[in-house]
Amino acid sequence: MLAFSRLGLSVPLRSAFRPALRPVLISALTTRSLFVKTITQPPGDIIGTVNEAYVVPTPNKFTGSRAWTMERLAVVAMTPLMLAPFIAGSAYAPLDAAMSTLLLYHCYAGFESCIIDYIPARVYGVWHSVAMGLLALGSLFAGCGIYVIETTEEEGLFGLCKKLWTKQKAI
Amino acid sequence: MLFRLPLVRNLSTQVNAAAQKVSKTPSMKTFKIYRWSPDHPEEKPHMQSYTLDMDETGPMMLDALLKIKNEVDSTLTFRRSCREGICGSCAMNIDGRNTLACISKISKADGKDVKIYPLPHMYVVKDLVPDLTHFYKQYKSIKPYLLTSKPLPEKEILQSVEDRKKLDGLYECILCACCSTSCPSYWWNQQEYLGPAVLMQAYRWMIDSRDDATESRKQMLQNPMSLYRCHTIMNCAKTCPKGLNPGKAIAAIKRSMAFE
Repeated sequence: MLAFSRLGLSVPLRSAFRPALRPVLISALTTRSLFVKTITQPPGDIIGTVNEAYVVPTPNKFTGSRAWTMERLAVVAMTPLMLAPFIAGSAYAPLDAAMSTLLLYHCYAGFESCIIDYIPARVYGVWHSVAMGLLALGSLFAGCGIYVIETTEEEGLFGLCKKLWTKQKAI
Repeated sequence: MLFRLPLVRNLSTQVNAAAQKVSKTPSMKTFKIYRWSPDHPEEKPHMQSYTLDMDETGPMMLDALLKIKNEVDSTLTFRRSCREGICGSCAMNIDGRNTLACISKISKADGKDVKIYPLPHMYVVKDLVPDLTHFYKQYKSIKPYLLTSKPLPEKEILQSVEDRKKLDGLYECILCACCSTSCPSYWWNQQEYLGPAVLMQAYRWMIDSRDDATESRKQMLQNPMSLYRCHTIMNCAKTCPKGLNPGKAIAAIKRSMAFE
């Protein structure tokens, strides 16, 4: 849809909402974000003159290659931990805690990637930081939740899932 | 008598051709083409239909476009140059696929309309001409030339057969921008993400045995935007009109940078 709106062919969306919402909502949807004022981008994305090379952001290994490697390592480590309780039939508490923590990091990294993709600082400015902050806050809550589950539940996260599963079956 | 003979032959071939034409019903095909002109900014972009007789049109999409421009509507604007898939000028979106008009065949018998758009999610200069300025600026940023600290030899820098082989599948890129403009990640963040075409060229210079700026080339990609916006969607490899695989090259860069 966005691709079409840049081409100027936003017809399908327009006709879908016709006629009541059309003037206000549609112009807001097709030209800028509905709730957030975005930063206007330079015409043709060109910064400087047309003959200068594009300037890349300042290098930072922790947001570059290390972030990527961490993500991959988390996934690789998580796979056997995820499968183990299914094979054994019951979860071993420390391993379950490790799996839950890695899962939390995996979700955090995934959502972070989504925010960088769809709420880039370039366009959304402060709202990018707000989104990142909300994600960090949510992850913190989830971390606390994991701690509570691991200390109170008998088999940790795996046990909780098992309980939900069996209860649903009983109904 | 001497000059009547060739005259008769001429006439007979003409009659034959005419008879052939009458016996065959013309196979018509409609081309719906994206039109927008900066001279009339008040007019919105629209699709314009042209119907051509396929018996009188060449086999490729570019032939149809040229026929429209020459015989039907001279205002239709598009880039083209080599007509054999080596210059990359006629890159456009044909029937939903980014490809080169000059090497994509018209399927004459399927009876479907052909839809032609400019490369997706690019700023349009006019009709089928996208603005590739930023794409070229990005290409320039990866320093697409040999960087060496050693003193240059008298003649060329020699390369072993194996080292030369590493460049196969990379150097053939013609920078038509088909892959970059097919990548959703490039659509959302093209201002900062370099895109498959440019990253594949970055890799091409990284693994060149004659180049010793590999470290600085890697260093410039050490940020979340330039390289790591690639989410292995692989539209690039699917659409490449030259059959190359930019996704694989990007994966190779990521792997080589993994433990840095």
